[in-house]
Amino acid sequence: MLLKKSNLKKTVGDFLGVGCAKFNYMAMEHDAEKSFIHVESSEGSNPNGSNPVTKVRMLLFRRMLVGVSDGRFFLGSFHCMDKQGNIILQDTVEYRSTRRSSPSPMEQRCLGLILIPFSCRTSCHVDCSIEEQLSLLSLPG
Amino acid sequence: MAHKPIESEARDPHVPVTSSISSGENTVWADVTSLLQAASQGLQEGELIHGDNFNLFAAMSALEIMDPKMDSGIVCKYYSVDEAIENGAAPVPLSFDKTIDVQCTIDIMDHLLSCEATWHKGHSLAQTVFSCIYLLRLDRTSSHAILHSYCRLIRATCKAVISVVSDARTHEEEDLFTMTYGLPLNGDGDGKCLSMLNAVEETISRQLRACKAPSSKKRVLEDIEPLQPNLDLEEGYCKALLCRLRFRKHFYHVLMCMRRPQGRGLELARKHIASCLSELECIYKSAEFLRSSACGNCEDGIEDKTTASGCEPIGFDASLNSRLSAPTPPRAIRILNWKKAIEYFKKLLHHLDIICSYSLDPSLEAVLRFVVQFQKPQPDLVARAHLQLLLVQDGKLYGRDPIFAVICRAAALPEVVKNHDIQKNEFVVQLGQLVINLLKILCTNAAWQRRKLGKILQDWRVIYVQLELAFKTEFGEMSSITNEENVCVKLSKHILIWVEEQTYWIASRFLMLGFELELYSPSEYCMVYWYIYVVLIKLAEKHHLKMVMSNDTGKRKGKKKRDSPKDVARDYQIPPAVLFLQCHISLAEGLTMLLAALRNENRVFQSLGPFNTEHEIFIQHFELLQQACIPDHISYLSFKDTTAYAQFSTLVMYNYFKDALRLAKELRSSFSNDPDRMAELRKIEQVAEHNGIALNVICRVGALDPSLKVSFEFNHHPYFATAVVRRS
Repeated sequence: MLLKKSNLKKTVGDFLGVGCAKFNYMAMEHDAEKSFIHVESSEGSNPNGSNPVTKVRMLLFRRMLVGVSDGRFFLGSFHCMDKQGNIILQDTVEYRSTRRSSPSPMEQRCLGLILIPFSCRTSCHVDCSIEEQLSLLSLPG
Repeated sequence: MAHKPIESEARDPHVPVTSSISSGENTVWADVTSLLQAASQGLQEGELIHGDNFNLFAAMSALEIMDPKMDSGIVCKYYSVDEAIENGAAPVPLSFDKTIDVQCTIDIMDHLLSCEATWHKGHSLAQTVFSCIYLLRLDRTSSHAILHSYCRLIRATCKAVISVVSDARTHEEEDLFTMTYGLPLNGDGDGKCLSMLNAVEETISRQLRACKAPSSKKRVLEDIEPLQPNLDLEEGYCKALLCRLRFRKHFYHVLMCMRRPQGRGLELARKHIASCLSELECIYKSAEFLRSSACGNCEDGIEDKTTASGCEPIGFDASLNSRLSAPTPPRAIRILNWKKAIEYFKKLLHHLDIICSYSLDPSLEAVLRFVVQFQKPQPDLVARAHLQLLLVQDGKLYGRDPIFAVICRAAALPEVVKNHDIQKNEFVVQLGQLVINLLKILCTNAAWQRRKLGKILQDWRVIYVQLELAFKTEFGEMSSITNEENVCVKLSKHILIWVEEQTYWIASRFLMLGFELELYSPSEYCMVYWYIYVVLIKLAEKHHLKMVMSNDTGKRKGKKKRDSPKDVARDYQIPPAVLFLQCHISLAEGLTMLLAALRNENRVFQSLGPFNTEHEIFIQHFELLQQACIPDHISYLSFKDTTAYAQFSTLVMYNYFKDALRLAKELRSSFSNDPDRMAELRKIEQVAEHNGIALNVICRVGALDPSLKVSFEFNHHPYFATAVVRRS
């Protein structure tokens, strides 16, 4: 199914990838329309969701908790991910400890829309029921 | 991607925090790291996983985490101030070795001075002065009297400076300055900070006396514990500390004195300024001692250091409250080095001294001249804020002279008028407001000033029309010739002429500030000088008219007013102030014609840009003046008419620069006791002389010699260019 999008251009991939900000607006606007994968279209082909891409797509809009390399955590709704593993979260709250030694009180701060580059991501969790957790984690071999 | 046992996924060692950040009810945090990795392998280059509401453009504005230029929350060294303190980032005492403790205290003082200067120069308080952990937790230092008193006074000083700048509202131009959100700026007991500092100063000066006393007297003074154990260094350290503490004290006094109403503290402020400057000198000189006694090897790169000793100060971390410095982007800033900081304070004190030595002249003309002169060396925000607060207090000039009285004096009206009922008229009140606004605007930085001056021109034009109508309705009804009416007619005439004069003054300042801000290119000089010329002509005309009228009121049968000041330029009796303007007029006219002739004959300095026609450039530069009809009936066409036929052959016959030179020389005697205007006259003479010679040279060889290059420089006068002729 994904291979049908053969008219993709590299520029779109660069969107969140290399440098995270340097990309060609013009090409992107044009290609974006064609290349974005929509939740509905993909579910038809594989209702059981054994494909990891389909599974991740089902996580969209769910609460996601991402840890980054300096020890902070970001809690927001999962908005977007690209091939390079960069994640965009919406309505994010930043959590930071006030001390290096845990446990310590946490400070919070609202940040809104944020982009977490793959390179600084250390953990990633989704809020889900226990049953769902099992199905999410069983990946095809 | 292989299967992984669920248990190990759920207990990621990285995530002890998932327990403290609660998931939903009956739900858990499931690790999806490997799922995401698998998914990204399944994605094509350029594909995104996103929902229906995804907007690529909006996604572009996402804050990028861990980008040092966007993410102000990056944890650098410590998670919080308290953690930094627990880790010993700001120990009290700084060291158990008393000598090192003193050294480090001095380093902190020096670095704080550098931080303070950097803050004054436009950075946020959070990233500069309040990067000091001791200041962030001031109470911790209470056992360390020297550091505690110094820090307290720094905090009180910051507060005083913020209050001056925010009261003056000059900070609109540099709005970071007064941002204090989240900083512990308000502590109780800052009123006592001076007495605390005095006590510390007293102790150290006794220690200094004790170590300097000859050994015979030492026994008497033995009960005094020395500052630190190394007696060879005692004197040097005592002195270094004393001058730093005293500088703080006097600087705080300067700020307090200058805030006294109606300029009553200015005289005392000057004394403190003098003390400040001499203490700064001592601080500067102490560097040699401090550098030699500093144990570290800080020889290299002493120029970049923020302390006199060259050592890194203890207890500073700008990243601790970088989240408070919003809305500034979280960029690392460069703190001014120590020498630059001292230079900054010297400059600031010098400018404050100029303000304090001002005579509070009640004449508006003198005030305007003073402010313009004051602005020439481009003083910084703090000095400008002080000037503005001195000039305008409680809606009065210096908080002392009512604005209507100031206007009457400026309009050359007799003293009796200043209590006239007309001052209650709505438009006269508005006029007063315009004058106050003008004074405030003149105290802002050049760019801000020019923008605002351009905007208020229209207001001045409108108020003229409104006043004219108001005076007609107020005084028009009194038909019988009474003494009362006479006063009224005079009043309205004088005020109207003065409003016009003031409007042209604003216009001329607006045009000239363009040179200071380098807004004009050489190909535009011709039209700029031409516009300056027409505005100055009007200004001189109105000024002269006003003077003639005031002479009339004095002598009844004085001379009649004249229409053109140019006709009267040869008149022996023209007041020097008008002739002074005439010098500028001649220079502007001369430069216009010289440039026009160069354009017409040598085909240089033409505006041949591919984007704008000359007419468009004209509109871009003078739109605000044109909209306000300053002066009336002046347009691009009149500029073209004036300059289209300029030729060197005619220019040589009537050399405007010779006029300017002659006038400037004659005027010397009239302004011999006014050093500012004498300096201006000398500049005019230089420009006139050089340009006169340049004109002659171009005339003689210019047309024949194509290798002759003419350029314009501002080496003699900031606004009037000097032509430089070279053979290429």
